[in-house]
Amino acid sequence: MPDAVLSNQGTNKPIPLTNKPFSPEDETALREALKRCSPSAFESAVQFRKTGNAEHVPAVVIGIIERFVEPDLRIKLKDADDDLRLIEDLGIDSLTMMEIVILVEDVLQMTINNDELRNLRTVGDVKTFIDCKIRGLALPKPTKFIPIEHIGAVMPVQPPFLFLNEASVSSTAANGKYRITGQEFFLQGHFKDNPVMPASIMLEALGQLAVLYLLEGAPTEAGKVVSPQSIFFTGCEGVRAHRICKPGDILSLSIKPKRMKMPLATFEGAIRVGQEKAVIAEEITLTFLIVDAAIAPVSINGSSAHAENLDGSPGAPATGVTPLRVAMNATG
Amino acid sequence: MPRVFITGLGFVTSIGNDAATVSRSLRELRHGFEVFPPFQTPEIPVKVIGTIKDFATNSPDPEDWAFPANYKIKRELLRTMAPNGLYGQCAMLQAVADARLTEPDISNPHTGLYAASGGSPYLLHYHNDRLNKVGVMRCSPLGIVASIAGTLNFNLIAAFKIQGSSCGFSSACASSAHALGFALDDLKLGRQKRMFVVGAEDGNLDAILPFAGMRTLSLQTDPNLASRPFDAARDGFVGTGGGVALVLETEEEVVRRGVTPYAEVLGWGQASDGWNVAISHPEGSGSAAAMTLALRASGVAPEQVDYVNAHATSTLIGDISEARALRSVFQDSALRPAVSSTKALTGHGLSLAGVMESAFCALAIREGFMPGNAHLTKLDPECAGINILRTTENTPPKIVIKNSSGFGGANVALVFKRVA
Repeated sequence: MPDAVLSNQGTNKPIPLTNKPFSPEDETALREALKRCSPSAFESAVQFRKTGNAEHVPAVVIGIIERFVEPDLRIKLKDADDDLRLIEDLGIDSLTMMEIVILVEDVLQMTINNDELRNLRTVGDVKTFIDCKIRGLALPKPTKFIPIEHIGAVMPVQPPFLFLNEASVSSTAANGKYRITGQEFFLQGHFKDNPVMPASIMLEALGQLAVLYLLEGAPTEAGKVVSPQSIFFTGCEGVRAHRICKPGDILSLSIKPKRMKMPLATFEGAIRVGQEKAVIAEEITLTFLIVDAAIAPVSINGSSAHAENLDGSPGAPATGVTPLRVAMNATG
Repeated sequence: MPRVFITGLGFVTSIGNDAATVSRSLRELRHGFEVFPPFQTPEIPVKVIGTIKDFATNSPDPEDWAFPANYKIKRELLRTMAPNGLYGQCAMLQAVADARLTEPDISNPHTGLYAASGGSPYLLHYHNDRLNKVGVMRCSPLGIVASIAGTLNFNLIAAFKIQGSSCGFSSACASSAHALGFALDDLKLGRQKRMFVVGAEDGNLDAILPFAGMRTLSLQTDPNLASRPFDAARDGFVGTGGGVALVLETEEEVVRRGVTPYAEVLGWGQASDGWNVAISHPEGSGSAAAMTLALRASGVAPEQVDYVNAHATSTLIGDISEARALRSVFQDSALRPAVSSTKALTGHGLSLAGVMESAFCALAIREGFMPGNAHLTKLDPECAGINILRTTENTPPKIVIKNSSGFGGANVALVFKRVA
């Protein structure tokens, strides 16, 4: 298999389809390689190898993962959502992951580096990763923890209107935390002698997490970025508040992209306090623009960046580091 | 020092894949030889091996293998196994059930496992071949643990979640006898309370055929005549594979669990020939010294020994050398002890041999018989002067010696005693 060593390392150019057509010998080899996978995985692999159409890739990848999962756990893959975890839910250890990768490399004729594997934690991570490889997109960013300093540096919205103390962002989701300190200015009037976090602010916090996702997690082509100045709220659907949140509560925020096609990105979001549901938003939609990385200003301290907030007021102008310190202290 | 007993056995051998079948084969002298299809080409002069029935492991992909349905082995375990790993695993499962061990009995700091196999030349060859063909980054990440020497212990220690002592032994055909001896030491010294001892070999073309290059394999084409230890017409050994597992426990554990042991392991001895890398000492000096040391360690006089399960593999030099060793230890007594080589039935299991034949001794002791030395038509005069059993005797042996010898001139003798 001389073309199996197609080097895709580093550059991550789109996988060039082999110059020679998909031969009967290739099909035999493919059938042998996938002999323990479902017929649909094999069919999808044939289609991919013939056409290069990346739409067939998820079926191949799921078929290969399924083949390496113990039979009694395979049922989980049947209606797998992308959050299904490889280690915890499917019992796949790092050695099995390597077996999966070697078969994927062989079947899809691509090369995957060891260090690219380390951050693949969920079925969604794997699908996204391989899809990006095939389409030549920048590799998905691994789930990364974003401390308050970095949140403050990249977000167009700033204290005292920033409602994230910490966050982690992957290519498929973002999670964040915000502790209601009781010092928030609006709690003085909301309500009289009874500080309750406004539901609109909680929705704002979810929106901010979605903004962070667009800036830090959303897959973009190499050399392209989401412009921080381009992100604005457009609408939301199915918002329900389930629990009153008060000073001392720690809001656990999570958002997941549902659809993303420039200029609109739609997310679902939820806030919990401990195990209790606080707010659900079926859809939060933001507008955004993708620009060349070179022309996007490096946003530090949000000096040039601002965003329309939920209530339509302009984002707080940069006010130096002091409010950021306040926000940092809030995590304590 | 605590007394040590054998409390469980498991067999995947050419003469049976469970204790009952093995026992019947030993009593009725039924051999396990067949013409081996991969040897049936003109350039291969050897034709017969001791085959493992009901197992098919002739694929480098363990998921292609077939084995009896009562063994449930997850892919996660199977993927790192060589054929000898599968045999060892099945033997272990039998031994665990036979000794009535529960999971906490197996996985704790006081229970260890010693194993012996020659690795898997078959898979080593396959994986290195792939490495050259498709490049190292497309090779199975598990090729190493499935193939190198030690693959048996790596796999079993992980599969059974062993937390105590663990080690692999590599002294060729004395390997698993060494493993048993050192396991006994661990128990006698109070380091462990329970030890598994496992031997296993692939027993396929890659494992056996290289011995033809040494001219040590029998060229017989008739399975009934191929393995003839001590016979004047013997012409080499017949290879075999399989797996055997044996459970050793201290008296305290035997009493605590209320199990009936097969036999007591009294002691062991080892000594080396100091002679040649592959040829045994002509006078059997190392083997004699090992037996003498084993008897001394066991507090047993030579005349108390009822039965010796000989190492005798059916090679020209080796059998004579062992006969001389036996004559020297037992002072030319032509009557005692009774001697036989069960390799006449099984073939030579290489690293597996010592523990396999020790397990045969345990069966014979508990069930009260001494297996005959099959296929002995005309005794080699050089092997005369010892009481070689022509047929199985239904006399219960009280004290039994098991001999094993390996390349380099390594010799091991183990002493077993009937539980009164």
